[in-house]
This record gives sequence, structure tokens and C-alpha cells, in this order.
Amino acid sequence: MNFRTAARLVFGPLLLIALLAAAWLIYSKIMEVGAGTMRVLLEDALLSVISLYLLFFLGLLILRYAMLMLYSFLEHVEYIIRRREERPTSEAEDAFQPMITLVVPAYNEGPVIQPAIRSLLELDYPHYEVLVVDDGSTDDTYEKALAVARESTRVLVRVISKRNGGKADALNTGMTHARGEFILNMDGDTKLSSNTLRACIRHFQDSKVGAVAGNVKVLNRENIWTRIQALEYVEGLAMARKAQSFVRAVNIIPGPLGMFRKSVLQQVGGYDHDTFAEDCDLTLKILVRGWHICYEPTAIAWVETPSRLLDLLKQRYRWTRGILQATRKHRAALWTPRKAGLNFFILWYMLFEGIMWPFSTVMGNIFFVYVGLQYGVVIFLFYWWLQLTMLDVIAATYCVIVEEEDPALILYAVAFRLFYITIVDVAKVFATIEEWQGKAMTWGKLQREGKL
Amino acid sequence: MDLISILSTVILIATIGTMGVAIAAYVAFKLRDKRKPSKKDPAPDQNGEVNPIFLTRYKPEAPSSDQASVNDTASVTKP
Repeated sequence: MNFRTAARLVFGPLLLIALLAAAWLIYSKIMEVGAGTMRVLLEDALLSVISLYLLFFLGLLILRYAMLMLYSFLEHVEYIIRRREERPTSEAEDAFQPMITLVVPAYNEGPVIQPAIRSLLELDYPHYEVLVVDDGSTDDTYEKALAVARESTRVLVRVISKRNGGKADALNTGMTHARGEFILNMDGDTKLSSNTLRACIRHFQDSKVGAVAGNVKVLNRENIWTRIQALEYVEGLAMARKAQSFVRAVNIIPGPLGMFRKSVLQQVGGYDHDTFAEDCDLTLKILVRGWHICYEPTAIAWVETPSRLLDLLKQRYRWTRGILQATRKHRAALWTPRKAGLNFFILWYMLFEGIMWPFSTVMGNIFFVYVGLQYGVVIFLFYWWLQLTMLDVIAATYCVIVEEEDPALILYAVAFRLFYITIVDVAKVFATIEEWQGKAMTWGKLQREGKL
Repeated sequence: MDLISILSTVILIATIGTMGVAIAAYVAFKLRDKRKPSKKDPAPDQNGEVNPIFLTRYKPEAPSSDQASVNDTASVTKP
């Protein structure tokens, strides 16, 4: 055990205990100060209704964090035990090494396509091929991909060029031309960890597993926006995705890394073109058919995230509308709990995260600012912020420990709640309203800076 | 003024400021997203020639001897 690991093991639990103690002290203080001024929130009917709604929302949020952390922890323990048990029988694991096709859709990925393909040639797995699908790029993506394909000797690299039709269309083309029994779909600007294929493929020894979601980490941690996103990804995957994996029902297989049985992709008809979150839509289609979907934390895709605010808003706007479109498409499961089973909870959970959460936090901010300015009681806004920040910090600490991530990321949980999530939530609220109004939208490809 | 009051004021200012930034950023994102360069090609004129839309066509003239001797670039005059 090296110093860094030992420091992390000691530092993490100590920080968690310190945070809980600080939270308890602040809560005690709040209860002393706040009791007298509480009647302001019950001044009239409207204030009372909003106050009670926000209290209900906070209760749901605490329940959400508690459930996800519990299931995530159980999945983590189960994973560790399974790994230990599997070690002596690694021969059996080695015997299961079917052919895998890596499908790399590429549209104007000129600056990043060559390092991305080269990194794929170094993966630790005996039987795989790389299939680059050039989606009608107007830059030199095709030529650059072809150059790498020619220099590769160990791994077969094929490059297909087609008329531009979007990412879903490119992935479907890749699925059609894939020679492997299993397909790994990724983005053109993604870098994979070398163990990705071995780590993902072992889940398919269970015949009920139709797909595996990989872990996604932020590569370009260069400014506050990207560092907060790094924390957001760590939290989203180590807590939410891991908890969902405990019940084998991951609700979004991330675009940068997802492995599928080819037969399952064919059964559900591949990716559809009618949503802007084709990953989410495909995942829901697989879940509806009864297939299990796992999460593999050690298979890591390193991605470049938006480093500028407007690019970040563009991404979140598309994600929000896309997820709402996918949810609406599978809305039948919302009203048929007996038939839909677990999918019923997944769909409602997605609506909670996609609509209720951003609307409630924005409403809470506006409401408590109004109470502060109108009645001169600013302390409620502080309580509101503090409760949300405490949840964020506790979740961040847990996730950083579980993921063995940089402990400095925990500090960004405060900045996350102070300004980042308010800005993102406002964009999500507007995106939801525009989706409800049925406003037209475009795909809006992000400009890559080629930092891989 | 105790610590909690100070923190409350800080959070109030931060929240109001962030909400303002959030709305401004969203408006900026929508404006940027809507703006697209026009793809219309310039229409041919009466002679069938296609002229650039914003630029005046450059027609070089023969430089006079004294201008040319001073500076070659200065000898180029716009029509």
C-alpha cells in the first residue's frame, strides 16, 4: 500500500466524520435561531403551500441521496467480493473471450480522431476490431482515420464513410457492419482505459445481461467549470449509476462507453432518430425488453467536457430535452406499474431528476430570496442553501472515497451548489418549457479542442 | 452581526447574482445558437457575372511613374 492510498483511506473517513459533526453543530445553531422566525413562512396561504412543497421536496431529496448511497455501497461491497471470488478461476474468465467490435462514430473529429484510434489499438484484449464510421465529415476526419488504419498491424481497423445522418445513424451503420458478437459503442473523442474490454465482457457471462455501462471521467480538468463537471461525473456514476447497477437497471448507458450484445441491439432495432438523447432512448428500449444492464466502474472512458459556459449550457439543454423526449416515448410505463415493474420506478425517477429537481431548486431560490427581501429574513435562504450543500458535500465525499478520486474535488461541491447548479438548473427549466412548447432544436455539436 | 447573518447575506447576494448570470447566459446561448451565416450565393448581374456581395471589385490601374518610385503599395488606388 503506497502513501497516497493510505492517505486517502485515512483522510476520507476522517473528513466524512468532520463534515457530519460540523453539520450537526450548524443544525443545532439553526434550530435555536430559526424557531422564532419560522412563522414568516406561514404568513399567508401561498407562502404556506410553497413552504410545505419545498419541505416535501427536501424530504424526497434526502430519501433519494440515502437510497442511492445505500444501494451504491451494497453494489460496491458485492463487486469487491465478486472480484475476490473470481480471482482463482481466472482461467474460466480467459476462456470467455468473444470477438468485440468497437464502433467509433466520427463527425468532424479531425483534431482528435488519430490519438483516439491509436489509444484503441493498445487495449488489453485478444479478439477485437475497430470500426470507424465517418458520418459525412466536412474536414479531414476520414483521411486521418484511414492513415491510422493503414499503419495498424496487430488490430484490424476499418473505416466506413457515409452520408451525414447523425450519431444514431452512424452507430446503426457500425452495428450493421460489425463482425463481433459484442459491440462497444463510444464517441470519436473518447480515450478508453486499457482494461475496458476485459472488464466489460465478463458481465456478459450472465445470459440476462444485455448491456454494460462504462465509467466516464473528465480529462480536461483545466478550469473551474471542468473541475466541477469532473465532480458531477464522479457523483453521477459512483452513486446513481452504481446504485442502479445493484438492481441491474442502469437507466442511461453513457455515449462515451457502452457495450452491448449485438443480438440485443438488433432485437430493439438499434438507435432511433426521434430523440436527442439516443443513448437514453436505447437504454430504455433494452430495459423495457427485460434485459439487465450493469455498470462497470473499472472500464473508464476519458472525455473532454465543455470548458466554456455557453458550450456547457448547449450540452445540458440538449441532454434535458433529449431525456424528456425519451421518457415521453416510453411513458406507457409511467401508468402501468404492474406491467412495467422496475421500469415504472426508473421512469418516475427520471422525471424527478429531469423536471422536479431543477424546477424545485430554482423555485426554492426565488422563493427564499423573495422572503429575504420582503420580510428581511435572509436566514431561510441560508438554511435552504446549507441543506443542499451538505447533501452535496456528503455525497461528494462518499463518491471520492469509493472512486479513489482526487480529494480536492470535494471542495468543488461548495462551488457546485453556490453558482454552477443554479446556472445549469435555469437552463434545464427553460429547456423543459421549450420541449413542452414543442420548439424546434438542432443537434448542436460541441467544438472539440483536441486535448486527448 | 453574527456569523450566520453574514453568511446569509453572502448567500443572498450570490443567489441573486447567479440567477441573473444564469438568465443572461441562457439568453446568450439562445442568441448564439440562432445566428447562422447566410448560405445564399450572390445572384449574377445583367452580364451574367457573379460579384461578391460586400466587396467592391478591385481594378488595378497603371501606376504613374512618380508614385511607383515612392512606394509600390501606395501606387495601388481603389477605383
